[in-house]
Order: sequence, then C-alpha cells, then structure tokens
Amino acid sequence: MTTVTAAERVVPGPRALAAHGLTTVRRNPLLVVLTLLVLVFQLSTGSFLDPGNLRGIATDAAALAIVAVPLALLVISGYLDLSVGSTLALGALTAGWLAGEQAQSPVVAVVGALAVGAAVGAVNGLLCCYLGLSPFIVTLGMLAAVRGLAQQLFPLPLSGFGDGFAWLGGARIAGIAAPVVVAAAVLVAGALFLAYTPTGRHVFAIGVNREAAYLSGVDVRRTPFALFVVTGTAAALAGAIKASVLDSVVAGTSGTGFELTVLTAVLLGGVALSGGSGSVLGVLLGVLFLGCLQNGLTLMSVPTFWQQMAQGVALVAGAALAYFGPRATR
Amino acid sequence: MTRRPLSVTPASRRQFLAWSAGALTATGLAATGCSAPESSSGSAKAAGASPSAKKLTQIGLDYPFTQIPLYSTLVKLSTAAAKKHDVELLTTSDASNPDTQASNLNTWVARKTQAIVSFPMVFEATESIAKAALDAGLIWVTYGGTLENQSADIRFSFRESGTLLGESAAKWADEELNGKGKIAFLVDNTIELGRERTKGMIDAFTKLAPGVDVVAQEQAIDPDTGLSKSNALLAKHPDLNIILGITDAAAYGGFKALQQAGRKNGDRKTFVGGQDGSAPSLLAIKQGTFYRASSALAPLDISNAIVDVPLAVAAGKAKPSVEVPVKLIQRGDTAEIDALLAQNG
Repeated sequence: MTTVTAAERVVPGPRALAAHGLTTVRRNPLLVVLTLLVLVFQLSTGSFLDPGNLRGIATDAAALAIVAVPLALLVISGYLDLSVGSTLALGALTAGWLAGEQAQSPVVAVVGALAVGAAVGAVNGLLCCYLGLSPFIVTLGMLAAVRGLAQQLFPLPLSGFGDGFAWLGGARIAGIAAPVVVAAAVLVAGALFLAYTPTGRHVFAIGVNREAAYLSGVDVRRTPFALFVVTGTAAALAGAIKASVLDSVVAGTSGTGFELTVLTAVLLGGVALSGGSGSVLGVLLGVLFLGCLQNGLTLMSVPTFWQQMAQGVALVAGAALAYFGPRATR
Repeated sequence: MTRRPLSVTPASRRQFLAWSAGALTATGLAATGCSAPESSSGSAKAAGASPSAKKLTQIGLDYPFTQIPLYSTLVKLSTAAAKKHDVELLTTSDASNPDTQASNLNTWVARKTQAIVSFPMVFEATESIAKAALDAGLIWVTYGGTLENQSADIRFSFRESGTLLGESAAKWADEELNGKGKIAFLVDNTIELGRERTKGMIDAFTKLAPGVDVVAQEQAIDPDTGLSKSNALLAKHPDLNIILGITDAAAYGGFKALQQAGRKNGDRKTFVGGQDGSAPSLLAIKQGTFYRASSALAPLDISNAIVDVPLAVAAGKAKPSVEVPVKLIQRGDTAEIDALLAQNG
C-alpha cells in the first residue's frame, strides 16, 4: 500500500504528479485523440502550432466554450437545451440593435442581450422544471420559436455597432483576446462550481437520481431552472461576442446549427446524455477537439465534402474512444 | 409525509393542457378566419378557367430560403407591388427543405391558388407539381430557372454574377499586384445557384489573372464560417491578397478576419468582394475599405417581376418572362449603393 506523507499532500512530488497526470489521461481519453490530432495537423501543415493560428483557434472556440460549460451542467443534471443556437442569434441581434441603431453604451447592449437570453432560459426552465414537460420537445420548440421571433423583429441584417462595442470581440487583455478571457473565466467558474459548492454536488445528484435527490432534501426544480437561465444567458453572451467580432448579425443565419455543435462538444467531453456524469475539463477538451478539427482540415486544404466526411469520422472515433475508455470516465 | 417530488400536480398539469388547447384552438380559428373564405371563393371561380381569362386576385410567392435577409425585403416590396394591383400576396414557410416545399406547393395547387411564383430547391422534383398546377388552370411562374411545365419564368444569371466579380478582381490584381498575389475563394457547391456563381467567379478570375496563386476554395456562405475559414487561411498565408465570396455574407467574414489580422481598412494590396449586394458589404464598399465590390441584384427589380410576370400571363401577354439584371457595385457607385440600401431598408 502506498502511503502519502503530510508534506506530499501539500506539495505533491514528481511521482504523485505523474500518477495524477496518468489518472487525468485515463479519465479523459479524448486528450490522447486531441494530442494525436494536433500532431497530425502540425506534421501535415507545418503551421498548425504557429502562435497566430492557435490564437485563431482559441478565439473561434471561445463562444463554443462559453455555452458548452453551462449546457454541460444542465445535461449532467439530466436536462437538455436545444434552443441555444436561436438564443445566441437573438442575443446577438439585441446587443447589435442596442449598440447600433439605439446608440446605447456597450454595457447596456450586453446587459440587454443577457436579459433576453435569461428570459428565454427562464421560459425553458419554467416549462421543463416546474411544469414537467420534456426538455427535448420544449427546447426544440423554442429553437424554432425564438428563431422566428428573431427574424420577425430583425428581418434585415444589422451592422455598424461602433468601436466601443467592438472591444468585446476585438480587445486584448494581457495579450489574450477578450472572448478567450471570458471563456476561461466561464470554464474556471464552472469547474469550481461543480467541484467545490454544495449546489454543484446537487447537480450530479439530480442527474443520477432525481427522486433520491429530492428525498435527500435537494431542490430538484430550482437548481436545473437556474441552469436553464444561466445557459440562456451564456448563449446570449456568446451571441453578443459574435456580433462584436463580425460587426454584423443576420437573424436567419446567426447561430444556425450551433446547438448541435455545442452538444457534440459536451458529449465528446464525456458528459453522459442520461445525466449524472461529466467534467468541465472534458468539456474543454471537446471544445478544443472541434476547434482544432475544423481549423486543421482547412489548413490542409481538404476539399469540402472530404472535410465533412473527415469531421464525421473523427467525431465518431473520438466518441468511441471516450465510450470504450475506463469506467471512471462515466 | 410524502409529496409528489418531481412533476407538477395533476390539477396544474390539467390546467396547463386546457390553456394550451384553448390557445391552439383560438390560433386555428383566427388563422382560418383570416385566410379561408376569400381565397376559397376566389379559387372556385378560377378553377377551370384559362390563365389568360383570369382577373388575378392572388399570387403565391414560394421562396424557400426564408433565413436570408433578401427574403424579408422581397416580401415587403412584393406585397407593396401586389397591393397596387389589388392583388393579395401569399407566402410559404419551407424552412429550406425540399420536402416541405413540395408539400406546401401541393397544398397551394389543391386549394387553387391562382398564380404561383416558385423558386424550386430541386427543379426536377418540382416539374410534376408545376404540371399539376397548369392542369388545374393555374399560373405557374418559375423563379431562378426554367421548367418544362410553366407559364413563364423569372431568371437570374447566377453565373454572370460570379463572372462580374471574378473579372473585377482580376482587373484589380493586374493593376495593383502586377498580376501576382494570392487569392482564396469562399464557395458553395451544395446548391445549383451556388455552383453557378462559384463557376462564374473562379473561371473568370483564373482566366484573366493566371499569375495569381489560388491558395484555397473553401465552402462558406455565412459570415461566421467565412471568418473562421479565413482565419485559418491567414495563418497559413498571411500575405493573402484577395478573398472572393459566393455571398456577401461569407466575404464579410473574410473581411473581418483580415481586419483582425491587422490589415488596414485602406490597404492598397487587398481586395475582398462578394455577391448579393447585402447592406453591411455595400456600406463597407461605400466607406472606401478594401471590401471593393459586390455583384448585386436590385430587390425592387425582383419584387416587381414577382408581381408583373403573373399579371402579364393572366393578361395573355406573349413572352412575359424576364431576366433580372445583375450589376457590379464598386467604390464610387454611391448613388446606386444608396438606392440599394434604401430598397433593403
């Protein structure tokens, strides 16, 4: 039996660190796939690991990460939100409209977008958590309804949001793009929430067995309701960032298919669709996997339809490895 | 003490279902009340009559790509144009889905919508529906192409749109880059319209500027994809000079990628161009940035054609088909840009 001294508990030795690293790899087999993917892309293109390209990948993946973290928590708690693509569009349009046509300050524009996202999340949460309707049906319905609303309210493209609003998508904080800083903050907050707060543990408990969680005194409605609101808010924030980066939004196309991309990242990251299992580190790996795949295939100049096929095959391979990995991952 | 832990109480669930049923019934009644009586009486008269003998009171515009901004503009302008002739404009919601489009068109044929203007997603599959419409004495106008069974058509030269843009970029490359440089095309190979534009754009450019190195042809029709693809391309080719897009939306994503990579707005060695004449791109051209050209269609010309062609068929005019012109918009075309922006607004 290995004994751990008090000193090793405070400052882990090399052996402990190595063992911890191996455990992390065992629990997140996608890490191996991602490493292989990066190696292949670097060897094939010679420019994949260039700092400029890595910055581009991180910036592109930021919006995905911002939504993937709260969505992962929602899925861990046994729920689902398929409306995030449309919520992203509505958030982007609201922020763009406030910053552009209404000439409001960037803060007001972003707060307005967040309020709209929170409202969509609250409707989802109310219907799913308090009225007991199927999250799949409700959020699928909201996906269409919110998109229709966005197109009705903003039938024409919006653009020209001003330099102040452009800060959100284009500024650098300590040399790092602002969206990446926001995404990092969301990832850290999500990880800390899951690991160190009682509500974080409740999320797992609700996902594993709602009845048992309820009988243990966990509020099985309020927690997922709050997660729906946070997910909606995060989607709107991602929308505001995209609007800032592009300085334009189109109601009909902004965020289309985004819900499936986010869900793919979450599931690739080892979050169980049935609830009760998952980690923020896994979600981060899922997000990076998708970001690297898209970027690498473009760098390799793979023709369009081959890209589609390669993306599909890589996704299935990643998912299979995650599934056939050790039980500790699930 | 035990409580029902997870779901709503039976009473509240019943209440919710009752409210939902009430709301659905009310919506259904309202919808029926809004549309049925007028159209059914009108269609009963129209049935069996020859198209040329009709007094046209209804035109159905079946445009499947409701997600693109042009759709809203077309509906607004066509509705106004139709109103001038006391004609009601109906629309479908096809959600860019050929099956849904076929179903909606069959419904219109069954309820004898007097004139149908349809942009078929799959031309071959729409042929039988068009035939059924003609057999029922309805007017069928094909939008964006030609069918065997039709009363008339509204055509666009999609290839011409791409050709104009390709020629413009090639001319610029010859003048500003001495015929050398690097170009990336943002293309669409998924639908006929996209393939035609792509071919026109690439053929024209590569023929006139053979010295420019084609570094990529990437699928992108929206700004987000245009941005991420261009970001990747710029990592590999930071000296990329030209990005041409199958749509203005995709090209605008490329424009933002170049800006974020540090390219100055007035950079003399950079050219971005797209197709459609969408507002953000037109504004960028007007401001004198390196977004330099757009092959634009005037929404007002299209909207007028949507109304005028069926009316001309109903009036028995010979050769009522029209080809909507496409025009290259560049820096300096201020009046045209303003006119297009006004139509879009």
